[in-house]
Amino acid sequence: MLLEGLSISCLRHCYGSLMVQAAGLKLVSVGWAKFTGFPSLKASRFRVSCSAKPETVEKVIEIVRKQLALKPETVLTSETEFVELGADSLDTVEIVMTLEEEFDINVEEESSQNITSVQEVADLIEKLVQQKAQGES
Amino acid sequence: MPPEKLEIFKSMENWAEENLLALLKPVESCWQPQDFLPDPESEGFYEQVKELRERARELPDDFFVVLVGDMITEEALPTYQTMLNTLDGGIRDETGASLTPWAIWTRAWTAEENRHGDLLNKYLYLSGRVDMKHVEKTIQYLIGSGMDPKTENNPYLGFIYTSFQERATFISHGNTARLAKGHGDMKLAQICGIIASDEKRHETAYTKIVEKLFEIDPDATILALADMMRKKISMPAHLMFDGQDDHLFDNYSAVAQRIGVYTAKDYADILEFLVGRWKVEKLAGLSGEGRKAQDFVCGLPPRIRRLEERAQGRVKQTSTAPFSWVFGRELKL
Repeated sequence: MLLEGLSISCLRHCYGSLMVQAAGLKLVSVGWAKFTGFPSLKASRFRVSCSAKPETVEKVIEIVRKQLALKPETVLTSETEFVELGADSLDTVEIVMTLEEEFDINVEEESSQNITSVQEVADLIEKLVQQKAQGES
Repeated sequence: MPPEKLEIFKSMENWAEENLLALLKPVESCWQPQDFLPDPESEGFYEQVKELRERARELPDDFFVVLVGDMITEEALPTYQTMLNTLDGGIRDETGASLTPWAIWTRAWTAEENRHGDLLNKYLYLSGRVDMKHVEKTIQYLIGSGMDPKTENNPYLGFIYTSFQERATFISHGNTARLAKGHGDMKLAQICGIIASDEKRHETAYTKIVEKLFEIDPDATILALADMMRKKISMPAHLMFDGQDDHLFDNYSAVAQRIGVYTAKDYADILEFLVGRWKVEKLAGLSGEGRKAQDFVCGLPPRIRRLEERAQGRVKQTSTAPFSWVFGRELKL
């Protein structure tokens, strides 16, 4: 089962009653949902207003490489789509969690549902990092 | 499944006769629900019911919600017998009274399981603590919905699934027994305990089948195990609905997790147990794909545990949800 959306709700649909917090919100305490209950990819793609810094993109690439144990020769650019890399839903949840820890942010389920490429993850992270910085100032 | 795989199960019929059927209990030595319920023919019936209800008053709503969910799962037994009868390779009961060891097993297993739902149903009815009409409605919906554990008529997948499930029910009924005892209801603890002991015996049976499959055809079996784990072991009652709550199963599972009846950690533990039980780490003579599957399966429990730890380590806000099974009262998730 390939990437259905880089989403904490993948964890929800897969791993039983894991208590997951998505930024700021209600506890997403989840049960063993229907096997087919993966969040459906929405038709309209999520557009972020800012574009990620190159360092952010690099960091995302590094984490994805490590998570998927990609061979060094595997090409991984900001355009790379996760489906091409054979990431399964457990991989994507682990990637999101690692990124959250790395950047000290919380990824909201809704915003992560339409992410299909490295660039999109990086853009989302950039946005959340900036929002966090603004919130703290 | 290719013909040579189907043949494997045919060739296992003698083995099944000798090893599997031995794990069934003769009806004459089986407990029956009546053994654990007030005696309707006795003068003391009313008093016994009164005592049962007094003990039940001490058990909290969230415990009952989980017990109800477990009972509803048990009561959807027709679905599970059906699922076993979807399996190819000569496993399915072709006539409903077939005398192959597999068919005998399936019917007798169903008969043993049938007592679980009956016992819990009668207990819950007598307890007065739950809204039986909503519970019964949920059962009707659930049997109507069925389930699809993605076992694809394949006995390798099917018996791996049932192995996992029997252990899961053994663990969860064991936990409800422990909780009942903690709240002072020894009789209910006994009820949950006796059900758990059946599940343990069934777990022994199904894991024995898969152990034999690992012996006969380790490559196909490890690929099947990895396949089921990638698909995730979906719980049998995941389609449950009470006519009102679209998130009923999620909410019930959340409460079960919170009160410690069945948790994500249990999921990881069950997989780890099965990996040990089937000596997955020591499998030899596997193909390249088989070795990948072996690595995936062996590496999975710690990954699940890590995710669970990280999830638990976050600041949580609590939410609540109403449960029709307890008259619409709200419970923490």
